[in-house]
Amino acid sequence: MIALKTTLAGAVGTALIAACVLALAPGLNAADAPTGNPEAGKEIANDRKLGNCMACHVMPDIESPGNIGPPLIGMQARYPDKEKLRAQIWDATVANPDSSMPPFGKHGILTEQQLNDVLEYIWSL
Amino acid sequence: MNKIIMLTAALVMVLGLTWGGVALATPQADQAIWQSYYQKRFPNVPKEDFINGVYAIDPVSRESWEAIEEFPPYEMAISQGEKMWNTPFANGKTYRDCFPNGPAIAGKYPYWDKERGMVVTLPLAINECREANGEGPLKYKKGPIADILSYLRYQSRGQLTKVEIPEDDPKALEAYEKGKQFYFARRGQLNFSCANCHVQNPGNLLRSDILSPALGHTTHFPVYRSKWGEIGTLHRRFSGCNKQVRAKPFKVQGEEYRNLEYFLTYMQNGLPLNGPGARK
Amino acid sequence: MRTHHFSAGILVAALAAGLPTGSWADDQADFEKAMTAAREARKKAATVGGEWRDIGKFLKQAEQAAAKGDFATANQLAEKARRQGELGYEQAMSQKDVGLPAYMIAGSK
Ligand code: HEC
Ligand code: HEC
Repeated sequence: MIALKTTLAGAVGTALIAACVLALAPGLNAADAPTGNPEAGKEIANDRKLGNCMACHVMPDIESPGNIGPPLIGMQARYPDKEKLRAQIWDATVANPDSSMPPFGKHGILTEQQLNDVLEYIWSL
Repeated sequence: MNKIIMLTAALVMVLGLTWGGVALATPQADQAIWQSYYQKRFPNVPKEDFINGVYAIDPVSRESWEAIEEFPPYEMAISQGEKMWNTPFANGKTYRDCFPNGPAIAGKYPYWDKERGMVVTLPLAINECREANGEGPLKYKKGPIADILSYLRYQSRGQLTKVEIPEDDPKALEAYEKGKQFYFARRGQLNFSCANCHVQNPGNLLRSDILSPALGHTTHFPVYRSKWGEIGTLHRRFSGCNKQVRAKPFKVQGEEYRNLEYFLTYMQNGLPLNGPGARK
Repeated sequence: MRTHHFSAGILVAALAAGLPTGSWADDQADFEKAMTAAREARKKAATVGGEWRDIGKFLKQAEQAAAKGDFATANQLAEKARRQGELGYEQAMSQKDVGLPAYMIAGSK
């Protein structure tokens, strides 16, 4: 048992060092960036099985979008506070309990990374 | 009688108003609000026209729908159903032995069966008739059940929806309340209630689908849908509308959907039956 | 997000160092624990009519992944199913007393 613990401690130690080295390696940090990627976000937003935002919103490059929600344009002017925009996508029923917009974050329809990507894209509109 | 109901409904609504929306929610009051809501929202649509679903509010698709109705895609089903109606079971009896007033009986359904303490729908009654006569039950979503329903509902065209919630049995009101709760409850990962689409957004576009008002939603079933390429039942539609919001659908003809049908049909009281129907 | 990559880093490092990362039996036991939790959450949601559409599918996929020894995927799916069960239950409970929405009552006047 003691022997096992020592090995484990050793393993974790080695791993920690290795992880630090890995984390320092150039390139690997990119995916860790706290912000999303707007190009990826566009694809996610326009994917029927993921964001499917165009089911309800007029969006760029989308043919026959829905009109249940307002057109997504001029977002930075509408939402000077980016966190508020994120909150709307995370769970729209907080701001409007009757909202028919799905809670993309709260219900795990999008992952955190996907949501950040979408946020970045919507923010750019 | 009708006048009394209308007066009561009006009175209840006024009371509801003065009490600032504090739930004085009798079925009559709900129904008055329901019907008035759609008429206010679509003031140019005559009330009876709501039985035509989305075509009542969308003149563009109405044209092609009217062309389709010239050669109805449900005609075969009606004649298949008529054959079923007239063909004796193995024991020599027919559907008529179960439904002596048939075939024009659709207006009677769904109803509250006090003895059994449950809502009885027409498809359920059909299968119970079959089983009482030693025949296997039909599947509830499509196929032969849709055929016989098409025939019975076709024969019942023009009857008025008049669901009753007997006041001498609190369990009937309970079933109604359950159906109502089901209708307005959000469900599924996408977090929609039926109302989010059909009350809040009728006339709006969900991508390229115009959402239909729920006034008239039960009058025309079973329905031929071009998307299905065949005829399906009301509970099949319920199931589909549950699935698209990523909720697990309930058992067709199970208690949940029968109560839902009870509520939803009661909301249409006064509207004529026009099944079977055709939709996109 | 960071911790995620960090622990992945540990795993990669440990693997690279050829160190033991736990036996198959441990993995299987952990997975079964995750599955039991997921099944219970699903059942709890179902008792209040709040089950979501894809939970059953995730559980099936989790079992298939575990059978192939891909416990990382299997656990992730079981966890997703559990989370959906919990969310579905919470959702259903929050909707217990709903009736005609205010916008409908207002719109009828
Ligand atoms: C089923 C319909 C629906 C879908 C799908 C939908 N939304 Fe919405 N959205 C709405 C509605 C309705 C509103 C109006 C505000 C409210 O009720 O929450 C809205 C509002 C918004 C707003 C605020 C706009 C403003 O001007 O205030 C943003 C931003 C937004 N949605 C982003 C998104 C994104 C991003 C997606 C896809 C990931 C999406 N929506 C998908 C219905 C939808
Ligand atoms: C996400 C939106 C959405 C939700 C939520 C939804 N539906 Fe639907 N429903 C549709 C669409 C789209 C159609 C097809 C176009 C139309 O008729 O509205 C439809 C059609 C129908 C129809 C057939 C209408 C006809 O004229 O044939 C019925 C009945 C119906 N829905 C009932 C329900 C019930 C009951 C619920 C709740 C269990 C529900 N819907 C929830 C989108 C929705």
